[in-house]
Amino acid sequence: MGYGNYKDPFVGRRPDYTVGAGEKLELTFVVLPGESRDIDVAIDLVGEGAEVSLKGLYLCGGEERVNFRILMHHRAGGCVSHQLFNGIAGGASRVTFDGRIIVAPDAQQTEAYQENHNIVLSEGARVETTPQLEIYADDVKCSHGATTGRLDEDALFYMRTRGVPEAEAKVLQMISFLAAVTPADRKEEIENAVNQLV
Amino acid sequence: MAENDKIIQEFTSGEYKEGFVTDVEQEFVPKGLNEDIIRTISRLKEEPDWLLEFRLDAFRKWQAMEMPRWPHLDLPEIDFQDIIYYAAPKKDKDRPKEIDPKLTETFEKLGIPLKERDVLAGVVAVDAVFDSVSVTTTFRKTLAEKGIIFCSFSEAVKEHPDLVRKYLATVVPSGDNYFAALNSAVFSDGSFCYIPKGVRCPMDLSSYFRINAKGTGQFERTLIVADEGSFVSYMEGCTAPMRDEQQLHAAVVEIIVEKDADVKYSTVQNWYPGDADGKGGILNLVTKRGICKGDGAHLSWTQVETGSAITWKYPSTILKGDNTASEFYSVAVTNNYQQADTGTKMVHIGRNTKSRIVSKGISAGRSQNSYRGLVRMGAGAKNARNYSQCDSLLIGSQCGAHTFPVIRSDNPTAIVEHEATTSKISEDQLFYCNQRGIGPEEAVGLIVNGYAREVLSRLPMEFAVEAQKLLQVSLEGSVG
Repeated sequence: MGYGNYKDPFVGRRPDYTVGAGEKLELTFVVLPGESRDIDVAIDLVGEGAEVSLKGLYLCGGEERVNFRILMHHRAGGCVSHQLFNGIAGGASRVTFDGRIIVAPDAQQTEAYQENHNIVLSEGARVETTPQLEIYADDVKCSHGATTGRLDEDALFYMRTRGVPEAEAKVLQMISFLAAVTPADRKEEIENAVNQLV
Repeated sequence: MAENDKIIQEFTSGEYKEGFVTDVEQEFVPKGLNEDIIRTISRLKEEPDWLLEFRLDAFRKWQAMEMPRWPHLDLPEIDFQDIIYYAAPKKDKDRPKEIDPKLTETFEKLGIPLKERDVLAGVVAVDAVFDSVSVTTTFRKTLAEKGIIFCSFSEAVKEHPDLVRKYLATVVPSGDNYFAALNSAVFSDGSFCYIPKGVRCPMDLSSYFRINAKGTGQFERTLIVADEGSFVSYMEGCTAPMRDEQQLHAAVVEIIVEKDADVKYSTVQNWYPGDADGKGGILNLVTKRGICKGDGAHLSWTQVETGSAITWKYPSTILKGDNTASEFYSVAVTNNYQQADTGTKMVHIGRNTKSRIVSKGISAGRSQNSYRGLVRMGAGAKNARNYSQCDSLLIGSQCGAHTFPVIRSDNPTAIVEHEATTSKISEDQLFYCNQRGIGPEEAVGLIVNGYAREVLSRLPMEFAVEAQKLLQVSLEGSVG
């Protein structure tokens, strides 16, 4: 007992990325309409001061199946990880987000954050999100947040009553929802995809 | 440091004040579990055939099932043949109606009066369960005047068989899960409560469960039915003696909330948690579920979990009717080697259904504390909404705090929000208190009470005071 149910996730499995002391890893995932993807990423933070930032964006409008499986293992103390995944599910798409943060015993002064936000556009779309925190050290700052919801009626009303057509109002809201995870060099491509979705 | 160790030892060894054993003559059924034992229990309780059939059917289902391995717990192997499934204090044959004074004394010591007293404030009707039988139920007459039925489960089977048969296992089917199936097969006693249409229950109802006998398990079953437009506030408390062996407690609670009815269910769980080395304690493996059956129904769960070596418990609500609402407020404290895997399930089926989850986990010592929850928005749950907040507080570097929420939305109009944080008591907060002459132990108590306040404030008065004290006791010895 004691550390009883802590299990090293990298026994019998290799991490996709190992981040050492002082190293920095940044990854962005973009899934556009029409693509079905299984994204499975396991990261091991092994040296003090390692930093990881993950961003994800997904747009589904048809029959897509998009599955994220993220494993963030803080083996060493004093590391920081940020995760932000925002996506929109329409049509008859299925999205799952399975995100695990594990802070190993003695990985003190860890900061780990994870967020997953979803907008469900249609009756046929389904979203399942399971953000998980497993923490075995006490001097840590960890949080996760997950939401699923629809476009904000009040914001749409605001725009509609100021002369913005309905379709455009929706597009604007979706673009702003995705802004935080949109890579600068793919902005146009993503905005076009949102337009097609509406 | 030696001073600190001494304090820690004193607190962890001496502070479970409910740990005494009552010396009464008891009758037992033999150890072990098979169809004959179930028939014996059923015969001892003079049950009708349909109930025996229900038990046997559940037992056959249980035999085909496997112990759940998914919880984030180090569950020991349980030898189900090494447990006594029925233990009851012997009744005086000459005066069968009277309660053994020793039992009255026991419950008095636990702060549960079995005699109806004229008190101006805070009248609570109690169903007191000692091992496998209900000792007495107070205020039955006063309640009966309003048409409220509040009695032990065994009496309900005899006196209101139609009601029991209509509602039994409608929320938690006998084959629902491993421990619910076991309970359905061997359940001994528990409470039954029926609030008729439009009646507001004039006092809080309460069940108090006490494990006393050695080598036994407790398997009680509670069934609460709130008919249209009624209201009831129900409380549940429990304690057990300190022993080196682990004892099993597998209960089932079912709540049916009809149209526009309102049920508030509060638990203060204080089973013996085991000693500082993780020896002994209760394995608390229970299934609690309610259904908001009719439109506009409301069910509120509040739990304070401080006891048990292992807790596996997910009070859940099925929001079936339109415009129904449910809440779950929980404080779970684990210390030493305690393990808790607890949370809730909110299953939204009806339109405009709302739910709110507030969970506060506190882990100290070498304990493991997990929140596990499900929020499910069905395809028909139009405009449904949930908000969940799960916070964990860590005290000491060797404990663990975990969060495993599952959110599933099949509806574009439903909104689900979940957030969780994990942190420790900051040095600044402790320093602030110390500076003002508040010792470290007391400061932690103060901070924890503030942290848990949102939940504690939901408890009925009598419980809130007790719960606050319990939090303090459970965490004593965790700083130093």
